[in-house]
Formats: sequence, structure tokens, C-alpha cells
Amino acid sequence: MDQISSQAAAQAAATPGTVATPAAGLEPAAPAAAVSGDGQAEVLLDARNLKKYFPIYGGILRRVVGQVYAVDDVSLQIYRGETFGLVGESGCGKTTFGRTVIRLEKATAGSVSLDGQDVLALNDRDLRRMRRRMQIIFQDPYGSLNPRMPVSDIIGEGLLAQADAENQWGKRSVRDKRVGDYLEAVGLRREYSRRYPHEFSGGQRQRIGIARALALDPEFVVCDEPVSALDVSIQSQILNVLSELRREFHLTLLFIAHNLSVVQYFCQRVGVMYLGTLVEVASVEQLYATPRHPYTVALLSAIPLPDPRIRKKRLVLKGDVPSPANPPSGCRFHTRCWLYEKLGRPENCVTVEPALRDVGGGQQAACHYAEYVNPSAVQEATAAQDAVATAAAD
Amino acid sequence: MALLSVRDLVVRFHTQDGTVHAVNGVSFDLEEGETLGLVGESGCGKSVTNLAVMRLLPQPAGRIVGGQVVFDGQDLTRIRESEMRDIRGSQIAMIFQDPMTSLNPVLTIEEQMVETIRAHRDVGTAEARARAVELLGMVGIPQPEKRLKNYPHHFSGGMRQRVMIAMALALQPKLLIADEPTTALDVTIQAQVLELLQRLTSERGTAVVLITHDLGVVAGMTRRINVMYAGFIVETAATAELFARPRHPYTVGLLHSIPRLDAESGEPLIPIEGVPPDLRRAPAGCPFAPRCAWRLERCWTENPGLEDAGSAAGPETGGSTGSAAPHRIACWNPPTADEAAAGRPLRPGFAAAPLPGTALPDIALATPEQAASLVVFTPEGDPLTALPGARGLPEPPDREARP
Repeated sequence: MDQISSQAAAQAAATPGTVATPAAGLEPAAPAAAVSGDGQAEVLLDARNLKKYFPIYGGILRRVVGQVYAVDDVSLQIYRGETFGLVGESGCGKTTFGRTVIRLEKATAGSVSLDGQDVLALNDRDLRRMRRRMQIIFQDPYGSLNPRMPVSDIIGEGLLAQADAENQWGKRSVRDKRVGDYLEAVGLRREYSRRYPHEFSGGQRQRIGIARALALDPEFVVCDEPVSALDVSIQSQILNVLSELRREFHLTLLFIAHNLSVVQYFCQRVGVMYLGTLVEVASVEQLYATPRHPYTVALLSAIPLPDPRIRKKRLVLKGDVPSPANPPSGCRFHTRCWLYEKLGRPENCVTVEPALRDVGGGQQAACHYAEYVNPSAVQEATAAQDAVATAAAD
Repeated sequence: MALLSVRDLVVRFHTQDGTVHAVNGVSFDLEEGETLGLVGESGCGKSVTNLAVMRLLPQPAGRIVGGQVVFDGQDLTRIRESEMRDIRGSQIAMIFQDPMTSLNPVLTIEEQMVETIRAHRDVGTAEARARAVELLGMVGIPQPEKRLKNYPHHFSGGMRQRVMIAMALALQPKLLIADEPTTALDVTIQAQVLELLQRLTSERGTAVVLITHDLGVVAGMTRRINVMYAGFIVETAATAELFARPRHPYTVGLLHSIPRLDAESGEPLIPIEGVPPDLRRAPAGCPFAPRCAWRLERCWTENPGLEDAGSAAGPETGGSTGSAAPHRIACWNPPTADEAAAGRPLRPGFAAAPLPGTALPDIALATPEQAASLVVFTPEGDPLTALPGARGLPEPPDREARP
């Protein structure tokens, strides 16, 4: 048995079935050192060269006139028992990646395997069976629950679809009991199963969405921005519930988010996406202490800290994210890159697309000049930008 | 004299599902050139307060039923609509959260900007146009001459918000109300827009009310902060003071429930349990009592007013002395400095007072009518069984229609 799941099992045994106890502290993410890079951890999800392009139709014949390169050649391994955070700005392809790996979108190219099985090659029958093992929690707790269904049907629908002789989910009584159990597991009352979605607040709806995903006993769950639609005081409740449940059910999570503070708190490893490509992969400790891609540096620098004593000099990126239908040549980030400017606009940034490569300690970055990213370089770039701003103001 | 002085502002929404108590007696002052943050969750009344200042409450549901809004010596609740029109845009400008819906999609940026300028200033089209070009350049839009001819959909979200800022500052208003100006934007774009907003308003000495739910945004942008909950201001202090010594349990809860990049590793999150109350009923006691870990028995039935916080049990530092912004809280049992740092009560044997049973103490009240509308909320935000004075009221309808 590998280190991770035994650790998780021990933790689960120590705190049996406690979910969302009032005022209980939420445990921070476990250190990632045991998972990353040591070769012992077991790969659960393996995506290789995954691509997802959306066609753009145009003209009177509605012909395909272009492609949106939503996910463009992303390779990623997620280990059993870990929570992998995927961050990036809107339109970077993080959600599309999450949906494509569990086959909610049809991949354009590439392969995805879950526990050694090729997900993209499954026929309908096998895919249905596989669906039990991979589930998703959606971002919008309002749009993702059918308003005409009571909670018992919302959660029970998946059970019914997966019913077989062994689990007996075809029986109403068995199903209702399981629905009640999972409602309690996410901190709601059993009796709520008769209610309709409109009777719940946003946070409660998100709990229902979590119960729906977990009732099928999945191994791998895609969490697509599960807290970003919620109010601040409710967000930590939901993170708390997810944190308890991932330990109790030994879940492997792909946690998609744009909030870097939440990811730092909740995940063990992180991938940063920009315009459809993965630009950096690292453990949480590495990424936040020593980011090696210039985009990650800017992303971290942009977050406003809730502490007025810290007057941090922000490294502000120029301009907007380019269109994913027409990404820049070479490195996609070069049009906004501070390091590109600082190094005197090296030619290969414009002509050669950098591959994700090892930059030490299991950390990977897709930058030709990742070795030049360090605190003093960042400081210089920030100072240079201030000088430009002052000159412009004068 | 303060530039803006809001006194005991009360706003109600009369809806099919009952009266929503959106703002319940809010008072604050804003000096010229000051930046004030209004922080709270959705439905806490922070946006409604400012819509009331602008007299832009949705009609006919929204009503200012009490209080004063004195701007530059004039009570805005009492002047005619035509006079209010002169003030909007030229004296008080507003930036909304969603720059797409606040720009007119069928008019070019030029038409909208020229219209705004000419509505308030006696200038010709050419002059107004020149001013528009200058403003667009000021907010960092490249090739402003050319971009004036564009429609809003030609701009990205961050660019649209820049256009909004340019329009808001076009007439040199004394006060700018920015309602979640960066919430709809990505984090790298948010940084650009905040930087711009801060630079332009401080250069011009424009007073700013910044409405946000993001404590990180107000920390870097404001001098003073009002924390709102369920239509009440529950804490107000200078920004540095509020973050260093939060005194209200809700503020303490907010600060402990968000993951922070600068947190010591291993510091746990402490969520605030429960949900905000359904404001179709007014809370009998402190609005935060149902979710509060420091709650006493009286908190269920007596609403504390905003009082000077006094000194916390912690050491006083020079930071707050001589500050024009007093630290005030509405709380019967404020956390001590140690408790605020820990995020939970530390007094041995202390437990939050349980939900009152049927035998409730009488509510300290002014009139029987008030008694009839007051309820005690459960932590789930639902009204508890009616209090003695509230008997005979119909049950509130489904939560669906919650604002």
C-alpha cells in the first residue's frame, strides 16, 4: 500500500464521520513531499498531450473558419490520494481540461487514463461503468441542480443509473437510505431529501452537489470552482466539508480554481495554465515560495493581501490575455512577459514554443529562461515598471 | 464639515413576499478626499446604502423610509429629482460591478462620453470629444482617437472598466462610489484597474467609497472601513486598526475564514457557521447572534448599538492615537485581543448562549408595532417560532424570493 492512502486511512480512523463540526478548525493541506517526484506514488489520472479545440463557425454556410485552442497539448499526472489544483484566469482552459478528462467533452486528440484504463477509448457501456469512478462538482450551485426535482431524485438519479445486483440501488428504499446518509455526510438533514433546490441557500445547494457526486463512491472527483460562487463566510464551510470528505472517502481531487489563496490552502500540487497550455507544475510549497514561470510570478503578485501593513509593490502585467483562437507564436505569454522585456526580447521566445521541463526538485516550468526567474529579477522588473509609470505620468 | 454624512439611513424594499429590511439605521461620515471601504457579504446592504445615496433605488419597491443623506450641505433625500440629476455624474459618480451592462451596447464610446460631458457642462461637441480622448488616454487605453469610435463589445472586461472609470471621472466629481469595481475581472486585470483607480483618485483628491466583499482589496485601497452585516454597520475603524485589532465577532470571523497567501503555514481556517438572516423579518437582537461564538443570552433579544470600542485587552500602540477615525463596534461581548487572534472564545467554560426556548425574555422595544415585526433567527437564517409580540403574523414564504 502506498504512503498516501495509508496516511489518509489513519487520519480517517482518527476522526470518524465528523463533518463540519461547529468551530472546528479546517486542517490545512498535507505536505506534498510524499507525493511528488519520488516515484513511489501511484498515478491515478494520466493525461497525455490532451487537446480540445472548439470550432468557430462563420459565413453563410456556417463552415468552420477557425479553432479556439481551449486546451492545447496538456500532459498531467495526478497521484492517487492527492488534491491537484489547477489555476489560471478565465478562458485559460482549466475548466475545459477538467471536463475533457472525464469525457464530458470529446477530446480532439491525446489520451487520458484513469487507473490504467483508457477513458477516451471506452464504449458507451464501459463508459457508464467508469462514470461511477469519476465525478464532478460544478461551479454554479444554482444552474447545476434541476429545479423540478426534489433532492432525493437529484442525488438518486445517478444511483439509479448505476444500479446493479450487487449494490441494489434500483430499490427505492436502498436508494433513499443512501441519499439520506450522504446528505448527513455533507452536513444537511436527512429530511431535506424531499425539498426542492429553491428551498436552499447557495452554500446548501453546493453541499447537495457534493453529495450527488460522492454518493456514487467515486475515486476521482473534478471540483470545478466549487466555492467561487459563494459568499466569503460560506466558502470556508464548503472547503471544510470537502476536506473532511476527501479524507474519509480517500478521494483524489482535481481542484479547479482561480483563487490562488484557496489553492495554496487546499491542494498539495498545483498546475498553472495560460491560454490552453500548462506553464508550471509544482508542489504548493515550491510554487508559492519559488515560482519559476514569469506568469506565475505575476499571478501571485497580483493578489491583494488582507493586511494593510504590507504595501507590496505589484508586478502588473500589461494588456489583456490574447484570444485563444489566435494565440501568439512561440511562447504564448511573451506578449505580456516582463522577463522577455528584461532580457532584451530574446528571439526564441517568439519563435520556439517552450516545453514543460524540469527546473529542479520536481518543479516544472515551460519557460526558456526559467533559471532567470528569481526574487532580485522580480524586484528589478517591478522597479523598472514604476519608472515607466512615473515617466508616463510626467 | 464632512463631504458626505449619512445619518440613520433606513431603506426598505416592499415586495410581494414581504418587506425586506435592507438597511437598518446606517450612519457614517466621509471627509473630502477620504477613501472609505464598505465590506460585507451579498445582501448585507452595502450596495443598497449607496444606491440610496445616489437615489437610484429600484422603483417602486425601494424606499428610503428614514434618515438623512447630507452631501456638501444638502440633504439629498429632500431635493427634487431634477436637482438630483445635476448632482449625479458631476458631483457624485458611480462605477458598477459589471461594465458590460452599465455601458449602452448600441452607442459608441464617443456618443456616451460626449453625452455625459455635455449633459453637465456647457461645451460644444468638438470640445467634449477632445476631453473624451484625453480621458481615455488617461486611463491607459491605447489609440484613444480610434477607440472612441468603437462599441462597448469591442472592449475586453478590463478595458470596459477603464472606460467606466474615465466616464466617472470626466466631470471631476467630489465623490466616487465604486461598487465591486473589480469583482468581475481576472486577478491580473484587477491589479491593473485598482492601481489606476487609486492613482487617479488620489491625484484629483476625489473621495471614494469602495464597496467590496474582498478584504484584500480594501486593505490596500482605503483609509477607513465599515463592516456591514444584515443592514447594520457592525464595526468601523481605520483600516490599519481594523486589521490589527478587529473587535466584532463577525469581522474576526471573516478574517479567519479566508485562506491567505501570507498566512503562516498550518494555520487552520475557522469558518463562520450558518447563513445570514432572511431580512424579510427584522432581527430582535444582534443580527449576527445566531452565528456568533461569543453570543450571550441578551444578544438574542437586544440589538447593541454602535459604540466606541474602548481599548482591547491588548497593548495599545501608537498607530491609532490621533486618528480621526474612532474604532466603534456593535457588540455586547466583544472578543479580547487574544481571542480575536485565535478566532474563537478562549475564556474557560464559556459557551455561546443556546437558542432561546419558548419562554423568551421580553424584548426591549419602543413600540408594539416594532415588536410585531421582530424575530429571533436560527443559525440557518430562518425565523424561529414567533416571539410573544409577533404572534398572528403569517409565516414568511419560501426562501426563493430572498434578495
